Amino acid sequence: MNIKIRNTLAEIIGALIAMTWMWLHLTEASIMTIESVSKVLAQGIGISIILIIILHIVFNILSSIISGQYEKDIDDERDKIYELYALQLSSVIFGISIVTTLVLLGWFNLSINTGLIVITFACFIGSIISLFLKIYLYRN
Amino acid sequence: MIKKKIHIENAVRKLRFNSDEMTQQGLAELVGVSRQTIVAIEKYKYTPSLDLAFKIALAFDREIQEVFFIN
Repeated sequence: MNIKIRNTLAEIIGALIAMTWMWLHLTEASIMTIESVSKVLAQGIGISIILIIILHIVFNILSSIISGQYEKDIDDERDKIYELYALQLSSVIFGISIVTTLVLLGWFNLSINTGLIVITFACFIGSIISLFLKIYLYRN
Repeated sequence: MIKKKIHIENAVRKLRFNSDEMTQQGLAELVGVSRQTIVAIEKYKYTPSLDLAFKIALAFDREIQEVFFIN
């Protein structure tokens, strides 16, 4: 497994753990105030960033111990192209989720709390799907 | 207008072996990319940019058409 796939896996795991944490803290979202929902979502995003950094470090240390050599992470033109594909995919998913949420808010009486949660989760899901696309591209 | 899809092939692997069995890592360091990118180019799974193609040709001291060509 090369360093790119390892780092992408770290990002997927970090995002999944943060999503689970948010989900567990939003079980009573319907009776929560908008301030408390926003706090949970902001904390979740913060947790995902910290987790991803920690997992990157842990994965690279473990890999160096197992293989006995340090692998440099070089970003070249191929990485930038794959990054662009992933960004396009996550942007499309995020865009669709924004429009869907606005339609649900405007015409189907969706609460603003649920709208916030849907947008944040769609962002995470879009990011995870795009990371899987990156793994697919690197493996092929 | 040319609508046919172009399949670009290369002689990177052959040229590497002819250059004192240069390693993929060695070539990658020479042209400033990762070893995985050289692997992908040799397997025809990635077509490099013109800039990188020229750098690879220069690394072997060859003309670009000797390294990358259409079969």
